[in-house]
Amino acid sequence: MLELTVNGTIHQVDVEDDTPLLWVLREQLGLSGTKFGCGIAACGACTVHVDGQAVRSCSFPAGAAGGRSITTIEGLSPDRSHPVQQAWIQEQVPQCGYCQSGMIMAAAALLKERPAPSEAEIDAAMTNLCRCGTYARVRRAIHRAAATGRGR
Amino acid sequence: MSGSSELAAQDRGLGRREFVRVVTLATGGLAVALVPAPLRAAARALLTGVALEPGVPLGPWVRVTPDNVVTIIVSQAEMGQGISTTLPAILTDELGAAWESVRLETAPFATAYQNPRFHWMFTGNSESSQAFFDLMRRTGATVRAMLVEAAAQRWQVPSGECRAERSAIVHASSGRRATFGELATAAAQIPPPQDPPLKADRELTLVGRSLSRVDVPAKVDGSAVFGIDIAVPGMLVAAIRTAPTIAGSVRRYDEAAARQAPGVRAVVPVPRGVAVVADTYWHARKGLAALQLEYDAGPVAEIDSDLIDARYAHILEDGPWATPVLEGDVAARLGAAAQTVSETYTNPFLAHATMEPMNCTADVTADRCNVWAPTQGQELAVHALAAALQMPEDRISVRRSPYLGGGFGRRLLPDFVIQAALVSRAIGAAVKVIWDREEDIRRDHYRPASTIRLAAALDRSGAPQALHARVVSPTILRPVAPFLDRQMNDTRVDPSALEGMLEMSYAFPARRVDFHLFDTPIPTSVLRTTGFGPNTFALESFVDELAHATRTDPVAYRRRLLRKNARGLAVLNRAAQLGRWETPLPSGRGRGVAYARAFGTLIAQIVEVSVHGELLQVHRVVSAVDPGRVLDPGIATAAIEGGVIFGLAGTKTEITFNQGAARQSNFDRYVLPYLAEAPELVTEFIAGGGPLGGIGEVSPVTLPAALANAIFAATGRRLRSMPVTRHGLRFA
Repeated sequence: MLELTVNGTIHQVDVEDDTPLLWVLREQLGLSGTKFGCGIAACGACTVHVDGQAVRSCSFPAGAAGGRSITTIEGLSPDRSHPVQQAWIQEQVPQCGYCQSGMIMAAAALLKERPAPSEAEIDAAMTNLCRCGTYARVRRAIHRAAATGRGR
Repeated sequence: MSGSSELAAQDRGLGRREFVRVVTLATGGLAVALVPAPLRAAARALLTGVALEPGVPLGPWVRVTPDNVVTIIVSQAEMGQGISTTLPAILTDELGAAWESVRLETAPFATAYQNPRFHWMFTGNSESSQAFFDLMRRTGATVRAMLVEAAAQRWQVPSGECRAERSAIVHASSGRRATFGELATAAAQIPPPQDPPLKADRELTLVGRSLSRVDVPAKVDGSAVFGIDIAVPGMLVAAIRTAPTIAGSVRRYDEAAARQAPGVRAVVPVPRGVAVVADTYWHARKGLAALQLEYDAGPVAEIDSDLIDARYAHILEDGPWATPVLEGDVAARLGAAAQTVSETYTNPFLAHATMEPMNCTADVTADRCNVWAPTQGQELAVHALAAALQMPEDRISVRRSPYLGGGFGRRLLPDFVIQAALVSRAIGAAVKVIWDREEDIRRDHYRPASTIRLAAALDRSGAPQALHARVVSPTILRPVAPFLDRQMNDTRVDPSALEGMLEMSYAFPARRVDFHLFDTPIPTSVLRTTGFGPNTFALESFVDELAHATRTDPVAYRRRLLRKNARGLAVLNRAAQLGRWETPLPSGRGRGVAYARAFGTLIAQIVEVSVHGELLQVHRVVSAVDPGRVLDPGIATAAIEGGVIFGLAGTKTEITFNQGAARQSNFDRYVLPYLAEAPELVTEFIAGGGPLGGIGEVSPVTLPAALANAIFAATGRRLRSMPVTRHGLRFA
């Protein structure tokens, strides 16, 4: 039995330690916002926060999450009020949307670490794949969220 | 600007030939309308099969409850192109409902929701707006007329004095008002008028505006339901593996070992593979690994890219050919020309690589088949299931998930739907089959590779007097349009593989197009841009080579070719202007241009690159686009922007074959563009007043040629094939 704290709630899940956190979130906990894209940590669709750090959950064993705080897209805010979500709405970023949970989580982690990221820092941090090609709006939304964070 | 009456008549409140410009690096400032309720409720309706808001149906597209909730049915698959916003908005606008309170519901398969042009229910070919625009207007007008008549009868006033306003009918002179909900029951009794009057364009308040996309909120909070997220009561989950080679099969596996793995409930053979069914996906996957699958490589195990390329080259020399276009005496003109230019171009196999891998949920019993799938091809799925299960169609239900994580044509095919249905039937339970990325790429139906030779006769002024095109390509259409099978067998022509060649924007005095329908065991089908993409790479690279062979500026050369095409000239000139075509660049940097008419829309694109050693950087891509009219500038802009990146992917990576199998099966080797590689994008629309054209597939059409032309300008090296890695270049 594994004890996981997800979005502030403690869960007991009956899974093998090597089960990727992605599948525990999606299936045992019914949090389907985190997506499966590649299974080899190459695309980032599965990005969640573990103790505030962006982690690709398809390659993170649930057993390693004990005692740590996990945040999924569902837990970023109760009502889309997180500055990154607001910026994503203002810039109308998503197209198909499948990569966007991971993209938003990656952006939120970046902004927590770097409240005013440079273009180079955005380039380096945002390696999530988007097949629909929303990158220009992702970049613009990150700048918008950063500006909001600075109170402007 | 020209003052033609046709343009004036087409003036739909945008202003004659109005330029709608969005520069994506500046603050968007897009108009934001209030957002309709999220689709989570609709997803529940999807699962239970019961309409969430029973309401009173007013025809197949609209339902209204007594408390005035208006539900509009969404026939087209939402896969990122924004169609679930645009089409309901058109209907809502004409109807006079309050957009911010409209609910949306995904359509089942029914003839009412078929594409009116093809009488076939599907989403693809960039034609949803074109095909459904009139129907949405007529439907909105019809329902409005019924509600107006109901009010007029209730109030005993002339119907001409009543109008619709924000989900109510009002009678201005008496101040009376009744909501759609109050009138719906009475309205449903009124025979729908045959030819209801449409609103004048100036009365429309949604069409032509950048609306807030209805799907955005759910896509930023994780609540959007894709096919892979579907869950039905009692559902099991299956992981699947088919033989990696193109025509391989499974030789042996250890079923007992899989059954012993935790959670595994069944092991089911499927065509060329095995499905392991378990209580969770991870258990199914581990069960799959425990099988220790061994394969037979199958009859075409020798397939590799070198052999395939050699076959294409051989056919290019020897044919045989179908000749669907023969205008004028091409051979004579080529023989007598002052100058001839002849070049050969090739396009690679490409994978769809939708971010959401293929998946399908099925519940099949002896006499019923229920399917939930992220499908673009609901109708084909129903017909294919009927055949595969030997079950009457009225026992088959294919429900489309509210969202598809990308489509690009892959999800038109019913293969993954049939597969899930067969697994469900075998185990007697509902099952969700999920393909992992390796399965998704290996079992793709690729954008086919093609080889194209172009030869032109030039007169002394450098103008082309004849064009001879030879195209060698596998089928694009056959898997998604089985009703074209006989025609294609008879003619040996796949019309999609000749898009951009059969009809050309450039007026060549003489023209011949030869086509060879290439037989290959490699599965091929439609992929975003279909035939326009590969043919335009060849044609627009070739036109560039003609320009350079005659020492003419490539934009000037195209101006001459488009001299009788006012709309074409307009996009070309606007792109050149926005692309700063006349401004000189430092060495190592270059600009390329490409023009096309694709999916009924005109596009001119300028790509600016720099090349240093093996490093290629794309700095800027300008797209000037004329789709006739722009229904939603924000959505259209996003589609063009995103399409540029999709086009870039086709110049960065490819599918190659070795020993009968694709070499690439995940994003480690099928490497897509990253955000860091994304160029500055400038996108501008011209409402040229022609018939409505498509948007979704347009911008990737011109990208590869514009890029190749830019690389030539920067380096003097001419790339006649993609990806750029074939030429020792890589994206910086």
